[in-house]
Amino acid sequence: MSAVVEIDGLRKSFHSLRHGRRVAVDGFDLLVEAGQVHGFLGPNGSGKTTTLRALLGLVRSDSGRMRVLGAESPQRLAEVAGRVGAIVESPQFFGNFTAHRTLRLLAVAGGVPTTRVDEVLEQVGLRDRGHERVRGYSLGMKQRLAVASALLKNPELLILDEPANGLDPAGIREMRDLVRSLAAAGVTVLLSSHILGEIQLICDHVTIISRGRRVAAGRVEEVLAGFDQHQWRVGVADPGHAAQLLAAAGVPVTADGDHLVATGLADPEVISRTLGEQGLWVRELTPLRPDLESVFLELTGTAPDRAEPRQVDDSVLPAPRRSESTIDLDVTVGDNREVQA
Amino acid sequence: MRLVRAEAERLAARRFVQLMVVLLVLAFGITAATTLADSHQPTASELASAERQAVEAQQSMEDSYRNCVAVHQGSAPQGQADEYPEDCSFLDPAQQERLPVAGDFLYNVFTFADEARPLLFFLIAFLLLFGFLVGASYVGADLNSGGVVNLLLWRPRRLAVLGAKLGTLLGGVLLLSVLASAAYLATFWLIGQWAGRPGRLDDAFWRSLGGLFGRGLLLVLLGTAVGFAIATLGRHTAAALGAAAGYVVVWEGGARVVMEILDVRSPERWVLSSYVGAWLNGRIQFSTDVVCYGRSDCSGVWSLTAAESLPVLLTVAAVLVVAAFAVFRRRDLI
Repeated sequence: MSAVVEIDGLRKSFHSLRHGRRVAVDGFDLLVEAGQVHGFLGPNGSGKTTTLRALLGLVRSDSGRMRVLGAESPQRLAEVAGRVGAIVESPQFFGNFTAHRTLRLLAVAGGVPTTRVDEVLEQVGLRDRGHERVRGYSLGMKQRLAVASALLKNPELLILDEPANGLDPAGIREMRDLVRSLAAAGVTVLLSSHILGEIQLICDHVTIISRGRRVAAGRVEEVLAGFDQHQWRVGVADPGHAAQLLAAAGVPVTADGDHLVATGLADPEVISRTLGEQGLWVRELTPLRPDLESVFLELTGTAPDRAEPRQVDDSVLPAPRRSESTIDLDVTVGDNREVQA
Repeated sequence: MRLVRAEAERLAARRFVQLMVVLLVLAFGITAATTLADSHQPTASELASAERQAVEAQQSMEDSYRNCVAVHQGSAPQGQADEYPEDCSFLDPAQQERLPVAGDFLYNVFTFADEARPLLFFLIAFLLLFGFLVGASYVGADLNSGGVVNLLLWRPRRLAVLGAKLGTLLGGVLLLSVLASAAYLATFWLIGQWAGRPGRLDDAFWRSLGGLFGRGLLLVLLGTAVGFAIATLGRHTAAALGAAAGYVVVWEGGARVVMEILDVRSPERWVLSSYVGAWLNGRIQFSTDVVCYGRSDCSGVWSLTAAESLPVLLTVAAVLVVAAFAVFRRRDLI
C-alpha cells in the first residue's frame, strides 16, 4: 500500500510572553496508507489538532517531515490540495451566507463544478436547509456543512477532525455510514474523534497521541490485542470453592462480586474442565476483551480514577521517539498493564 | 482568476458592504433631493443683480488694497493705519484664491461650477471611510470566522489568497468609487442644468475637478489598503478601527498638542492629516510663529504640496501592506 499521509518527527511549540514556550507536538510520527480508515486519538490538548493543522499548512512546524499524497507539506501542498478534503476543529462559517452560497464560493475558488454543491448537501442531509443562513444552524448542522465542504472536491484523502462533534445520535450514525461508504469507495480517511466507540466501529487503524507524542499505532485489533490479558469472567454457584479449585489448577483468579475473573488463559477449556470435574457447573464464561476506550484511557493515563478532577495536561508523557528516521507500523504499547475491562 | 471571482462574489454578498452602499445611496439621494428642492433657475433680473453685486464686491476689494498701500506709503491719513494689515498683499485681489462671482450673490440657486468641488470632497470622504471600513471588515471577519482557514484548505497558497482578497477589494472599491462619483457628479450637473446654473465649466474647471477626482480615488484606495492591512495584522476588524481611533486621538490630537507646547517647528509635518489634505487640495498652507522668533523678514507661512505628500502616503500604505503579507505568510492559523 502507498503512504497517503506521512508524518515523521513533527515538532511544534507555541510561545507566549506570559506562559513562555509550550510544546504541543514533540517528535510525533503518523503513517496513513491508502484505503485506510485511520483513527487519530488523544486526550484534549494532546496535539491532535495542531498535528492536523501542521499537516494542512495552517501552522508552521518547528521540525519534522510531512507528506500528503506524496507531496511535501506545506511546500508542495498546493499540488495535491484538490485531492484532499479536510475539516479542522469546529469549522466556522460566515453566518450571513447560506450553506449553498458558502459551498458554491468554495467550489468556484477551487475549480469544482458547482453542481457538486447540491450533491454534497444531499449527502450530509442538508438538502432542504441549504438555502438558510448558516447563522441559524445548530452545531450539528454546521458540522454537517463542514463535512460537505470537505466532500465537495471528491477527495482521495479525507481528514476529519471531530466530525461527530455536536451531532445527535442519528447524525453520528449517519456520519459513521457516510465514512464507511466513502471508505468503500476507496477514499482514505483520517479521523480524529473523542467518541472511541465510533472509532472502534469505523476505523481499521489507529494512532494514539499523548502530550504530543505517539503512544500507540497500528491496526485496531493489534492495539487492542496488546492489552488483552486473556481474562475470562466466570459465573458459578459457589465462587469461593471454584476459586480454590482454579487456584489449585494453577489458574490466577480474582473475585469480581459474585463472579470470578480468571487471567492469562488463551483457551478457557481448563476452567470448565476443572470445575466440571468437581461437579461445579459453569453458568457463564465470558471473554473480557479490552475495548478502545479502556486502552485509550490506559495508554494516555487519563482514566478518571482519582478523587480530584483531572487537569487537561494530566496525561501520560511517553518517552521521546526512538528513531528519527522511520515510522514503524508495529504496536508500540509498552508493557501489558492490567486493563479494567 | 477563480479565486478572484469567488472573492468578488463574497465581497458583494457581505452585509456590511451592502449596508455601506445603501448608506452611500441614501446620503447621495438626500443631498441631491435637498439641493433640488432648494434651488431654482435664476431669473434675468436675479442674474443681473448678482453680477452687479459681484462687480461691486471686486471693486471694494480693489479699493481696500489701494487704501492699504496708500496708508503704508504715507499718502493717506495715518489714522486709518489700524484698519489695515501690515502686509497689504493679504488684501491684493490678484493674490486671492478666487474673486467674488455672480454665483456668490444668487440665493437658492445651485451653481454646479461652484459646488462641484465641495460635493466631490464629501463623496471622497465617504468613500475613504467606506474603503477603510469595508477593507478592515472584509478580511477581519474572514480571519475571525474561519473563512480564511476554509479557503486555505482549498488553496494552500497564503500570499495568493491574501493577494486575491486585497486585489478584489481594491478593484471593487475602485469600481464602486468610479461609478458612484460619475453618478453623483452627473446628477448634480443635471440639477445645475435644470434647476440652477451650470456656472463656468471651462477646461480649467474640468481639469481641476478631474485632478481632485483622480487624487481622491488614489486616497480611497490607499485608505482601503490600510484598513485591510491593519485588520490582517490584528486578525480582527476591531484592530483597524482601534488603530485608527487611537492614531487620531493619541497622535493627531495629543501628540500635536505636546509638539505645540514644546515649540516643535511645524508639527503639521508629523501628522498624516496634513499630507491627506495637501494631497487632496494639491497644496495646503500652514503658518507658524516658531520659525519667526526674532526675525522680522519672516511670514511663518509654509506649504505642503501634493507631490510632497504622495510619497509619504504611499510609504505608510506600503509599509502596512507589506507587513500584513509578511506576518500572514508566517502566522499560525489557530
